[in-house]
Amino acid sequence: MGVALLAEPPAGVASAAAPTDDDLIALALAGRGDAFGTLVERYERAVYHLAFRTIREVEEAKDAAQEAWIKAYRALASFRPGAKFATWIFTICYRVCCDRLAKRKRFTGDEPLDFADPAAGPEGTYEAAEDAARLRAAIGALPEKYRIVITLFHLQGKQYEEIAAVLNLPLGTVKTHLFRAKDLLRAALGPTAQRRTT
Amino acid sequence: MTDDELDRALFALPLEQPPADMHQRIMSATVLRAAPAFQRWELLLLAVVLVLVGLASAWIVTSSPESGSRLGDSIVAFMRGFGLFSRSTYVWLAVGLSSVWWISSLPFMATPRPTVYNR
Repeated sequence: MGVALLAEPPAGVASAAAPTDDDLIALALAGRGDAFGTLVERYERAVYHLAFRTIREVEEAKDAAQEAWIKAYRALASFRPGAKFATWIFTICYRVCCDRLAKRKRFTGDEPLDFADPAAGPEGTYEAAEDAARLRAAIGALPEKYRIVITLFHLQGKQYEEIAAVLNLPLGTVKTHLFRAKDLLRAALGPTAQRRTT
Repeated sequence: MTDDELDRALFALPLEQPPADMHQRIMSATVLRAAPAFQRWELLLLAVVLVLVGLASAWIVTSSPESGSRLGDSIVAFMRGFGLFSRSTYVWLAVGLSSVWWISSLPFMATPRPTVYNR
């Protein structure tokens, strides 16, 4: 799908080996469905990751990610050129997830349980500091506001402004949440771990 | 664990793998989704036209004193044209319907033929 897209970019659109997100959006708005397909290929894993980390249920995360893409497709014309597509799609996905969580809370009256992770129990061994499963479990055990910030930090790197834009929070709050989340992660990853500010 | 070590561990963490059919599902719901037969404005236009025709018809019928009886006469003539005032029409209709019911209730289901082995 993406190969056909790169073969013949229309006039007025920069032809590079790897088109930018803005190019792909312009092509998609011009009616090239394969351009949107390439965008989906680029970000679907990250979007699903964000949905799963927020909702913590495979089926609902899948539905939320799909809903986010449908909303993005319908609102593609409103995307501001020059803005970061990743931030935009993450924002849409995060709002969809929040709506779904709010609905679920309304119907069930409480938050869903954390998904079971064998490494999350107190009997878990903590020898391997870099163990991905252990870190994943520690992130999953974080309170929601810290878990989302850590997930976006994971997805977007140290671009705090982008994280703040997605969550619609002040920059200072994002930094505070991130600081607290990291402290909690350190505490979960090892009782002997000591924080050294770099 | 230092900040850098934690950051490195975070960034090294693989993203969750989406379900295999997710890409196809997204594409089916967006780009590959069949366009609706009518646009919303077309449906709206159709509804407006139908309402206008209905209002115009009602106005024509109610505005003339004789139009009501003329409309009634037309309906009666139409029904008479189809023989709806003839008793024989209903008799044959009843005969037809009962025949349909009788035929449909007959046991026409194919029964499996017993297997015959050639010795």
